[in-house]
Formats: sequence, C-alpha cells, structure tokens
Amino acid sequence: MMFYASLCWEYMKNYAKTRLTYRLDFWIEVLSDLMFQGLNLIFILIVFQHTPSLGGWSEAEVVFVYGFFMVPYGIFGTFFNLWNFSERYIVKGEMDRVLTRPAYNLYQILLENMDPASLFGSVVGAIIMAVSWSTLGLPFEMLDALMLIVFIIGAVLIYAGLYTALTAIAFYSDAPTGILPLMYNIQNYGRYPVNIYNKTIRFLLTWILPFAFVGVIPASYFLDRNEDGLSTLALLTPLVGVVVLSIGLFVWNRGITRYRGAGS
Amino acid sequence: MLAIDVKDLRKQFSVQKNREGLGGALKDLFKREYNQITAVKDISFQIPQGEICGYIGENGAGKSTTIKMLTGILVPTAGHLRVNGFIPHKEREKFVRGIGVVFGQRSQLWWDIGVIESFQLLRKVYRVPEADFKQRLDELVERLQLSELLNRPVRKLSLGQRMRCELVASLLHNPSILFLDEPTIGLDIMVKTEIRDFLKKINREQGTTILLTTHDLQDIEALCSRVIMLDDGRIIYDGGLDELKSRWSKGREVHFQFGERPDLTVLRNLTEGLPGVAWSLEELTAAMWLPHAVNVSDALARVVGGGVDIRDIKIIETNTDEIVREIYQSGTASKEATEKLAQSSDSVSKETVHHG
Repeated sequence: MMFYASLCWEYMKNYAKTRLTYRLDFWIEVLSDLMFQGLNLIFILIVFQHTPSLGGWSEAEVVFVYGFFMVPYGIFGTFFNLWNFSERYIVKGEMDRVLTRPAYNLYQILLENMDPASLFGSVVGAIIMAVSWSTLGLPFEMLDALMLIVFIIGAVLIYAGLYTALTAIAFYSDAPTGILPLMYNIQNYGRYPVNIYNKTIRFLLTWILPFAFVGVIPASYFLDRNEDGLSTLALLTPLVGVVVLSIGLFVWNRGITRYRGAGS
Repeated sequence: MLAIDVKDLRKQFSVQKNREGLGGALKDLFKREYNQITAVKDISFQIPQGEICGYIGENGAGKSTTIKMLTGILVPTAGHLRVNGFIPHKEREKFVRGIGVVFGQRSQLWWDIGVIESFQLLRKVYRVPEADFKQRLDELVERLQLSELLNRPVRKLSLGQRMRCELVASLLHNPSILFLDEPTIGLDIMVKTEIRDFLKKINREQGTTILLTTHDLQDIEALCSRVIMLDDGRIIYDGGLDELKSRWSKGREVHFQFGERPDLTVLRNLTEGLPGVAWSLEELTAAMWLPHAVNVSDALARVVGGGVDIRDIKIIETNTDEIVREIYQSGTASKEATEKLAQSSDSVSKETVHHG
C-alpha cells in the first residue's frame, strides 16, 4: 500500500513537471471541462424554466443531484483517463513496457494517464452541492458528512469498475470503437431522477450499468426522497461499488492474459 | 543454475481472416473466420547463467514472440517455461524485478520529462534503495558518457543517445538477465561498437545473462558465444558461432596481389586438377575460390610455385551474413537442408549442454 501511494505521488510530481511546461494547455483543459459541465447545468436550468418539477423533483433538488454527481465524476476523471487506451497501449504496444515493470499493470496505466485537471470539476460540484444544500434548507450533521464521503468513494468505485471492464474489451476485440462513447451517453442518464424514465431504463441504470448509483441514488439519501425506495437503496452504494470494481478487475485480469502485443 | 529453461514452448494466435471485396467484408461483419497461426512451434532450449546468447531469424520467424513470452508479456499457449526460477506470466510482478528489458523500437523512458527524472521514477517502481541507485547510476553514466544528457527530455535525444539511456534504465535495478530486442537497430557504427563493448563488460563483470535478438550479425560476432537460429517458429540451429561457420560455409577465398597483370588461363592452369577451384581477375588482383574439400596449402603451394610475381596474399573466410543468408534460403527452399540442419542442431545442443 505504502509503495503504491508513493508511486502515485511520484507520478503526480512528474505530471506537474510536464504540465508546467505546457501551462496554457492545462488551463484550457480546465476551462473546457468546466464549460462542458456548465452547459449541462444550464440545460437543467432551461428545462425548469418550462416546468416547475421533473417527476416530482424540484429545480434545486435536481441541481443538487447534479452537484453530487460532479464530485465522484471529477475524481474518476482524474485517475481514469483511459479514453485512448486501445490506441496507445494495444495498437502501439506500450502495454509491453507496462508489463515488464514490477507494479500492478492497471495501476501503472492509470498513473501514466492521470489528469488532475478534472479535479476542478469536483470542486465546482462540491460548491454547487453546498449552495443547493442551503437553498433547500437541509440539516447538516456529522453523519451526513461521513455518508457523503462513503457515497463518493462508492460512486468512484462504480465508475472505475465499469470503465475498467469496458476498457478491457480492447484485449478481446480488435477495434472496440463505439462502445465508450455509447457508455458516455448512458452515464448521463444517471444524473437525473430515475423515476422519470420507464421501467426498463430504470432497471438498466440501477442494476446492469449502475450509473444511477453515481448520481441520483446517493443524492436522494440527503434529499430524503424515498420514491421507489431510492434513499434506502443509497445505502447499497459502497457495496455496489465493490462488486462492480471486482467485476471490472476480473475482466481486466482475464484480458491481460489475452494481450498479444503489437507488431515486431 | 539455468537462467532460462524452455521446453516445448508454443504460441498460437488466432488471426481474423478478411474476405475479399465488399461482399466479403459484409460476410465478415456477421460471421468472422479465424486462422490459427503458430508463431512459435514447440521450441526447447536452455541458457545457463552468465551466457550471452544471440537469437536470430528473419522477420516473422518468432523471435519477438519468444522474447515476449520469456519476459512475461505474452502467455504461452503450451509448454514449460522458467526464467530465473519463475514462470514469467504467472508471477509477473515479482519476476520482472530480476530482469531488464530493452526493446529497440519502443522507449522505456518518459517522453516529456528529463532523463534523470525517468531514472528516478524507475528507481521508485523497482524499489531500489537510494544509495544503491546513486552508486549504480554514477557507474553507468560514466561508462556510457551520459552526464550531459541527464537533464534533457527524452524527445530531444538522438537515437544513439536514447538507446544508451535505455540501457541504463534497464540496468538500474541490477537485473541478472537482460533481454535486448534489436538493441542496435538504426544506430551508427560508433554507437553500435560502444554498446557492444558495454554489454560485454557488464556480462564479464556482473555475470549478467544476456539474450539478444538482432538483424545485425556483427552484434552476434562481437558478443555471442552462442547462437540460436529460428526459422518459421522452429529452432534450426543452436550452438557456437564458430561451429555454425565451419558447418555452413562452403569454402573461402584467397586474394592475390600481383606485380604485373597475369593471364587468367595461366592461373587456371596452375590449379588444374583441384576440383571446384574458380578464378576471377581484376587488374592486378585475382581471387581464387576454394571449396572446403580443397586444402588451402595445396592450392597456395601450386600458385606460389607457379612462377608468377606475387606481392600479397589474403585468405578470406565467408562472413556470417552470407552463411546465414544461405541457411535461410535453404531452410525454406529445400526440405533436405532443413532436416540436415535439424540434425546438426540436435547434436550441437547436446554438446553445449555438456559444456555448460
């Protein structure tokens, strides 16, 4: 554990060093990230110009869910920047190098692609959440703070597990294009109250691709919204996280044995 | 102790068959067909500690696939494999601490950061204690004259500079086996020589076992006591370089420098009766080709005693390039030659085991 933590620190330092040479690049990335999230938020606000509630949820509540979602999403984005995994590690064969080093291969890859710029999204998310918290006049107790941390960790694990499994498809298929963008679209549904969707999609988002556990379900715990037992389900978040991550790692480790290297 | 022990090692890949034309592509979309390609076909060899072994073969012969199995990158389809006492792909993280790897075509270093930062990062990854690291780095840097390069980012290094840095990177954790895949590819002769000398030195001083693949047979001549030759996934020769030469060269050439231009027919008459001897003449230099069946001294005695004005004599052995080319050609072209090679490699490998 100590070893892996110190490795993380080393890679962070190197990230900082490279990024300092391309400072402008860094800020542009932060800015475009935030603008992207901002657009989503504006979309929510526009929807509520036309309707006072969405499936029984008020504007402030939906914004709160969105704020909550941004926190684990930012953390996930920092450590799981695997969008070009197939291109870089499979097609170009950089996996060779990773596999000849004495640290867990997935961990090395995560650290090599770390993107701390995404953490700004988490900060903004936390601010949005704090603002809506007071707008909604919710009480804040020690237990809430603790649960918040537990849920955020659980949500990050869910994201990590899902994307680990999806990224590992590159080991099984020659050209796994298309799946990641599709996932990216599906995950967006998890930020809105799931009870506005039909049964199939709700089931999908809860139990198959549990993106609802990254946004609306844990957030409803704080909002005390128990439609369809949402805030009770919230307590399952860390468990779902562990299960999904285990599945992800299993798929990944199996995939590694099928790695075939590139070219010569 | 054996550094590398390989028995009946096999690697199969299934490769997607692409059918021709648009119709074929449509068919592929729904039902894919796969071809099984066996890249490495049940090879066996053993390398004792401290040996430098050359692993040669044409492109696609299965060299890289073997190296990747030995380093734990690929999982073998069948066979037994032990490197440094480990099964590489099973105990990968423990195993790789004891090996060093240089893939000539691919960098081990981080592109954007200074060389020294890459080394520092590797120190952390391999958990080398600071003091050991410092001592080792100083030593390596001095030997390969890298001190001026240490603060430059890798992307600004020339290929030769980068390759020397790669070598240092692969040796920082003091591995007992070093795998080199095309370490001298694309380098100029100065850097090649430097790298060869360096490898020889660390092998001698630290007893590092080295397995290298190369297309440059001069690497082999300069470094290797042993050669394993691969063709189409099979080992076709395993043994000493000298043996390879003596077994496979068909003859040698003797060059004569004359004081005045002699007549070609005169020269031919001198060696009349010796089977297979051929002459060619260019200005004052004549080349006499001798098959192994003919004794060099016999032929020389005839020419020298023939009363021509000879200024200089040179005996030229066939070089390894030609021999290897010959083997590849015969290895794929004639079955007989392959069998002959297989036999000879059998007997040779027994001998080496005996010596080892």
